[in-house]
Amino acid sequence: MTDDELIIAGRSFHSRLITGTGKYASFAQMAEAIDASGAELVTVAVRRVDFDERTGDITSFLPESVLLLPNTSGAETADEAVRIARLARAGGLPTWIKLEVIPDPRNLLPDPLETLRAAETLVADGFTVLPYMFPDPVLARRLEEAGCATVMPLAAPIGSGRGLKLREAIRIMIEEARVPVIVDAGLGAPSEAAEAMEFGADAVLVNTAIARAADPVLMAAAFRQAVEAGRRAFCAGLMGERRDAEASSPLAASIAGS
Amino acid sequence: MSHCTVNGRRHQLEEGETVARLLERLGVAGRYALVERNREPVERSRYEEVKLGEGDRIIVARPVAGG
Repeated sequence: MTDDELIIAGRSFHSRLITGTGKYASFAQMAEAIDASGAELVTVAVRRVDFDERTGDITSFLPESVLLLPNTSGAETADEAVRIARLARAGGLPTWIKLEVIPDPRNLLPDPLETLRAAETLVADGFTVLPYMFPDPVLARRLEEAGCATVMPLAAPIGSGRGLKLREAIRIMIEEARVPVIVDAGLGAPSEAAEAMEFGADAVLVNTAIARAADPVLMAAAFRQAVEAGRRAFCAGLMGERRDAEASSPLAASIAGS
Repeated sequence: MSHCTVNGRRHQLEEGETVARLLERLGVAGRYALVERNREPVERSRYEEVKLGEGDRIIVARPVAGG
C-alpha cells in the first residue's frame, strides 16, 4: 500500500481525496479543513474581481504543496469554458483544468456535447483536462479518446449530499475506464466515499459535505479516513457476496453436541 | 484623456498605462491576477509591457472559492 499512488497525467498523488474550497465560513476554516483532509489537489473557481467588495486572496491560505485545480464554473458553453481556462493559464494558474460546462441552473447537470467539444479544444491547446460529467460510459470513452486525463462522474446533483445515486453507471465506467475515475459531486457522507472507493473509484472530490458539516475540520478528517479505508478495501479485494449463511466457527466437535 | 472599461466600469487611463500599472492602481494584489484584454488573455509575463488603449475592454479576475 505504501506505493499505492494516484497517477494523473504522469503526476503522482498520495491522497485520493480531492477537495473544493467553496462554502466555508472563512478562509481560515477552509485552510484547516483542507489540511485535515490531506488533499493534494484543490479546486478553485475564477471570477471577476468585485472592486466594491474586497475579500482576501484565497490562494494565500493554501499551502504551496497543493496543486490548484481551477474550474470552468460559470461556463454554459464550450467557448466560455475555453475562455476561462485560457485566462487562468495566462495569469499563471496551473495548466490543469476541471472542465465543467453547465447550462442547467436547476439541476446543475453538465452538457455532454459542449463538454466534449471544450475538452478537444483544451487538450489540443496543451491543457490537462479533468472533465465533470454525467456518468455515461460511452461519453467517458469519448472524453478519453479526446485525451482527457481523468473522467469525473457525478454521484448525485452537485451539493445535494444524496450519495451514490448513480452507482451502477459509475461502476460500468470504472470497469471500462483507462484513465482515473474520480467521483465528483453529490456525496454526503464518508461512508459513501468509502463505498465509491471500495468498488474501484480512483479518487473522490468532496466539497459541500465537508464545508457544510457542523464541524468541517472534523468531517474533513472523517472523509480522509473513509477514502483511505475504501481504497484499502478495494486493494485487499472484497470477499464477494453469497446467498446463504456460512458459519465462521467450526461445525464439528461442538461441546453441546456430545 | 482616454478611457477603457475594467469589469464593465469606466476607467480613466494614465499616459502609457500598462496592465501592471492598472493592477497597481486598482490595488489588485495576490499571487494570481488574471487579465483579459478585448477577450484575449494577457500572459502574466507581459503585464509590464502591454499598454492599454482607448476603448479597451479589460477583465480582471482571480481565483475564488469553488468546488
